[in-house]
Amino acid sequence: MSINRTADRIRSGERVGGDEALELYRRAPTALLGRLADGVRARKHPDRIVTYIIDRNVNYTNVCVARCTFCAFYRPVGSSEGYVLGFDEVFRKIDETIAVGGVQLLLQGGHNPDLPLAWYEDLFRAVKDRYPAFKLHALSPPEVIHLSRLSQLPVPAVIARLMAAGLDSIPGGGAEILVDRVRAILHCDGKATADEWLDVMRHAHRAGLRTTATMMYGTVETDEERLEHLLRLRALQDETGGFTAFITWSYQPDHTELAGCEATGIEYLRTLAIARIVLDNFDNLQASWVTQGGKVGQLSLAYGANDMGSVMIEENVVRAAGASYCMDEAEIVRNIEDAGFAARRRNMHYEILGDPIFREREVPRMLELATARVAGDNTTPEELRFYPARSRSGKQERLQDGRIAGLQDGK
Amino acid sequence: MNTVADAESLAHSHDIISIGVLADDLRRRRHGTRTTFVRVANVAADVGAPVSRPAAAGEVRIAGVPGSRAAAVERVREVASAAGRAVVTGFSLADLEQLSARENVTLRALLEELRAAGLELVAEAPVDRLQDTRRSIEEVNIAGMALARLTVDQSSSADPMPLLKAVADLQRRVAVLRAFAPLPRRVNPTAPTTGYDDVKHVALARLVVDNVPSIQVDWSLYGPKLAQVALTVGADDVDAVSAEDEVAGGPRRAPLQEIRRNIIAAGQEPVERNGRFDILGPLGTLGVVASPSEGRRPREERSP
Repeated sequence: MSINRTADRIRSGERVGGDEALELYRRAPTALLGRLADGVRARKHPDRIVTYIIDRNVNYTNVCVARCTFCAFYRPVGSSEGYVLGFDEVFRKIDETIAVGGVQLLLQGGHNPDLPLAWYEDLFRAVKDRYPAFKLHALSPPEVIHLSRLSQLPVPAVIARLMAAGLDSIPGGGAEILVDRVRAILHCDGKATADEWLDVMRHAHRAGLRTTATMMYGTVETDEERLEHLLRLRALQDETGGFTAFITWSYQPDHTELAGCEATGIEYLRTLAIARIVLDNFDNLQASWVTQGGKVGQLSLAYGANDMGSVMIEENVVRAAGASYCMDEAEIVRNIEDAGFAARRRNMHYEILGDPIFREREVPRMLELATARVAGDNTTPEELRFYPARSRSGKQERLQDGRIAGLQDGK
Repeated sequence: MNTVADAESLAHSHDIISIGVLADDLRRRRHGTRTTFVRVANVAADVGAPVSRPAAAGEVRIAGVPGSRAAAVERVREVASAAGRAVVTGFSLADLEQLSARENVTLRALLEELRAAGLELVAEAPVDRLQDTRRSIEEVNIAGMALARLTVDQSSSADPMPLLKAVADLQRRVAVLRAFAPLPRRVNPTAPTTGYDDVKHVALARLVVDNVPSIQVDWSLYGPKLAQVALTVGADDVDAVSAEDEVAGGPRRAPLQEIRRNIIAAGQEPVERNGRFDILGPLGTLGVVASPSEGRRPREERSP
């Protein structure tokens, strides 16, 4: 089918197949892709509202056994640069988040064998005790699988326990490209195969959780594999309807084992646009200003995005790989309005919370994103001694503490 | 089609794709899919400062404000003697205007001294800083030199149309402008220009300033992502690509590979030039432009 005929079908609201989408992605002029994607956005959001969320992107640990070759953030078990945040540190970050109008934490971290399921349950309960209305958008599918393996519990049981402890929704991290050939090369098939990632989301949706979906492109995958990723997400969304939004970003190569080059800005806009066209059953597409910068982030609003993502407040993972952009609420709103849209705060469910908070009260400007910890802070949280470690170094560390004898999984 | 009228009607619109398509059509009528770029080695204006000239540099640019007429001439001599075959450019015409006034010499006399010392082109003429724009640009020409680019120092208005029309009018009078870089060199750090601002500004520049051959974007100032987008909305020339070849991350991350990759990913054909706008062949030699069929075929970017 010609590009023109496919374009006409998209304009009339028809669904595109994989071959048509691939042809568009490879051959269509960037402006045409943008116009088609913008048409889909306009049909779904005719009110010209662009949303954003004030939340904080907290990484509770950088210790990880997955060893994905594209990741610059993780540290192996036993590394002197490894950290685990203490509950008090998380509370302090929540206090800072609430102070600038924030409503949730995006809480993700490495696959740390020395943090059992009980640690997460206790953390979530403690957060909910202190901040009942505060939301926890936490633990991507690979982390859920990691906890399933660690606890020897099936994924639905892990999700149920986390929900009981306070989990509100699941972020779509760790999807990378949902094709096992790619995942094997990236050494991330061990943390979750494509089917396993999708199954976690299926279970989460069935349990009543809403989740997001993501795609990290630009490593070793082909164009066909990017489209396969999108089509698999579309199929699951047809089945469950549980995804609230889709976010794509380019692989950030600095300081990674995989190395290589970052995909260009035009490739980002084309990928975003084709995602908007293919994912016709997703209501929302986020702009990834944190990887593309504010300017291309704003241009995303002409290529299918209807959401500027998060103010973030803190970011560790992408920064480790070389990207260090920052936009506070005022800057995000300025960019949205400059593009001709109305800016509204939202929650994770994309429910509108109101107008920009900085117009209601004074909020300090934020010129750079915070980090998980101050460099060189290697303190071990006091409460960790209550949880049994699984790694040799973790066991030794806690035995040296001499206070966990007789403790089982949990307090 | 009246491109200026089209530009007027789109200048206040948020439809950046439509304005980009119009500008891209005009750019392609002028340049096809060819996008030129120049690798620049910047050196300080201070006399005696080190002159590092990577072999790949197609231009050695003296950056900064000269302290005096004598210092400017001496610095040009130093750089020219170290530049080898690279084109030596330098200074802002606005700074040279001020220097000539301060030292009670005519601008032409100062320019002639600089030319005799080895300066081939004045690096930039910031249209919003020049005291006597037309006359000063003509003096460059009369002194036997060329102007590398007309620039905008600082954007002072949300509406770029008056300035762009003034630039087009200036070119009608002087007819020597080879390249215009419409994005401001300085921005307000608390409210920097947005992506929409920049895209509209580049596209409007192509549409309104249709009598200047090249619309230029600065690679180091605006970064690869925005610069690449600019190439799809009217810009056809990339300035200030680093001439350093040794970079962390291996040869694929080297500036030459990065600029080529970005131009090709924008559906265009990369062509290296020097500071004189001469097209360079392999290994930086003056040569013939490679045929598009020799490289990866650019994606057809025209809207059907």
